[in-house]
Amino acid sequence: MSRAVHERSRTVPPALLIAGKDLRLRFRDRSAIMLGFVAPIAIATVMSFAFKSSENFHMTVAVVDADGSTLGKALVQALRSDELEDVITVRTAADETTAAKQVRDGDVAAGLVIPDGFTASMTGNDPVSLRVLTNVDTPLAGQVTQSIAAAFAAQIDADRLSVTTAIDGGATAGGSTLGDLVARAARERLPISVTDRSTGARPLKAVSYFAPAMGIFFLFFAISFTARGWFLEAREGTLQRMAAATSLRQILIGKALSVFVYGAASLTTMAVVTTVVFGADWGGVGPAAVLIGAMVFAVVCLTALVIAVARTERQAEGLAAIVVFGLALLGGNFVFVSSAPPLLRKLALFTPNGWAIRGFVDLATGPHTMAAVWQPLAGIMAFSAVVMALTAGLSKRMVLP
Amino acid sequence: MNVLTIAANSLRRYLRDRTAMFFVIVLPVLVVVIVGSTVTGFDRFHVGLVVEGDGARTDELVAALSASPALSVTRLSTAKLAGDAVRRSEQSAAVIIPADYDDRIAAGETTEVGLMGERTSNAFIATQVAVQSVVARQAAVVQAARFAAAEAGGSFTEQLDRAHRLAGATASVGVTSAAVNRGGSMLPEGFSYSAPTMLVLFVFINALAGGAAIIESRRLGMYERIAATPASRRAIIGGETLTYLALALLQSVIIVVLAATLFGVDWGSPVAATLLIAVWALVGTGAGVLSGTVFRTPEQASSVGPPIGIVAGMLGGCMWPLEIVPSAMRTIGHVLPHAWAVDAWTILLSRNGGITDIAPQLGILAGYAAVLLTVATLRLRRHLVV
Repeated sequence: MSRAVHERSRTVPPALLIAGKDLRLRFRDRSAIMLGFVAPIAIATVMSFAFKSSENFHMTVAVVDADGSTLGKALVQALRSDELEDVITVRTAADETTAAKQVRDGDVAAGLVIPDGFTASMTGNDPVSLRVLTNVDTPLAGQVTQSIAAAFAAQIDADRLSVTTAIDGGATAGGSTLGDLVARAARERLPISVTDRSTGARPLKAVSYFAPAMGIFFLFFAISFTARGWFLEAREGTLQRMAAATSLRQILIGKALSVFVYGAASLTTMAVVTTVVFGADWGGVGPAAVLIGAMVFAVVCLTALVIAVARTERQAEGLAAIVVFGLALLGGNFVFVSSAPPLLRKLALFTPNGWAIRGFVDLATGPHTMAAVWQPLAGIMAFSAVVMALTAGLSKRMVLP
Repeated sequence: MNVLTIAANSLRRYLRDRTAMFFVIVLPVLVVVIVGSTVTGFDRFHVGLVVEGDGARTDELVAALSASPALSVTRLSTAKLAGDAVRRSEQSAAVIIPADYDDRIAAGETTEVGLMGERTSNAFIATQVAVQSVVARQAAVVQAARFAAAEAGGSFTEQLDRAHRLAGATASVGVTSAAVNRGGSMLPEGFSYSAPTMLVLFVFINALAGGAAIIESRRLGMYERIAATPASRRAIIGGETLTYLALALLQSVIIVVLAATLFGVDWGSPVAATLLIAVWALVGTGAGVLSGTVFRTPEQASSVGPPIGIVAGMLGGCMWPLEIVPSAMRTIGHVLPHAWAVDAWTILLSRNGGITDIAPQLGILAGYAAVLLTVATLRLRRHLVV
């Protein structure tokens, strides 16, 4: 040891020296750089491009008005209303065959046929049905078209039911003719409507979900190479040499510190890059820092557990891989766990990453306040506490210097 | 020592490794289950329902919403919880039936049912129209009762009963729906989506990560030891390749059998499916042996392999259908073999295709396999000191 280094080792706590050495090694290791920095950003880029087109829904519908009478025209007008302007573009088609071809070729997302005699059939008891043409590849467009047609049909049904009920109740006996009733019923409007209620939330962009999700997934790999490193150092005698110079406590703190700094650097880089380049919303500096810190802390605890359980380098690697993929799958790093069945959503809350992702989703859709992170923080800390307790219980069998 | 003995020994060594078994068996099954259960429900929309008051009309609306085939309704106690569920995308939308719903209807006033949701999301738009159609049916009965009470006299309640009775008997304006095409260009939803895509993804990832075993063998001097026997260089390479092929096939068979028995996945034409699995296993083998010669340490192979596999899977349509991504991304995706394999599965599963239908994809995949295997073999030969 050179004199300068020797001097420094007397003033700097050994834990910091160990952490510094580990970090230097880590940042020289191309695999660690790849996993901690390059891969998560690459994947977030892919995801952000992949979901670019699916965030706003708009469709073109081919409409055939073979009826050409009052109701047919009213339906076409309704489809072209300001209310539906953002969702639907109407393209008129000459006949059903043309419309079906356009739907099949994917020129339009769905078709709507208002059959000949549609208006006329409303006076009898055998009304003609509206026909929706769908493409199996664009089921949503088919469903939306069908529902719009159904809403229009509902108003007609309401008017027909009004007339029928009035007649059944004896309205014509009171002097009204059928024609009068039909005319008056047509002026009625459905008395119950569905109106927008604001959630006060911002829409969740795909990149705001997948950037933290992928960042955390790759953060997990730190468990693997730190645990492997421990056994490697034990095998090569490095740990023993360190133990001769300082206490075990200092070694453990140093190791934990290096994992923490590496993890925090990795997630923070991900947050900064995806925010600046792709407009991901991590929820503001303060709340994001709390969640990142908590998540990295959970990774430190998991690393200690893997080291306590494993006996060899190979076992550590295997165990870490199982922990990484198991947690990532359950916590929602690969799939949008919110859309999963309730049982899977509950299982996600048994993982620290599940809590962290939920916290980031809340921040990305709601106010950037600390109030949004307390619950996820408690979840992550509870998980970390359990892991620490397990590690403490197993520490007797730990491979120590 | 011949090819088979070398392969059998490598395989035995591999199967004894519990981590490897986690990746070969447990992980794919877990992924099939999780991805399968999340890539569903596009035909049924999840709706939270908050009922702020009570009364007969409220109960009717709750019953009608619950009975709608398009909706899957979950009761939530407050609008705040509903808001949280919606913004977390746990529910596509939330319906709020206000406390004064019954009173306003009885008083002859107009009333509003609240709907919360992210207005630009696909699921919300579809949910909105489904909810509207349920509400419209109840509104029709209320409108008819009011109209009849005004035109023919009698109380609103009396006319409401009449309207309810007649609503069942009056033919309504139907809306029929017909699909213009049968076979889709996307895989079916649910497990039929996740099982084949995860097969493609995991056989490849495993093969890449498995390259670690070749590096380990190199490091341990296994090849030198085998070379000390009368085994030829060709036998060693053949043995290693065969090991990877056997592992890829084993993993494929496990996924196919589990998905078919547990989740009822129909794998389409057995002959075509078998051929596709075999060709994909060859692609995986090529990639695996190649990774064993490209990476320098086992750690590199097992840590860098999976991310590469995941990115390739994402680009190739294993995580989401390539139909939903911009066309440039789709073109980039088809640079990878994954996209061709997923295309072939789509033809088999969504369009009931056979061997001839997937012949172009099989040809392209065989091309990838040939190139990967050739490069891998050449590189492995260089690494063998015999």
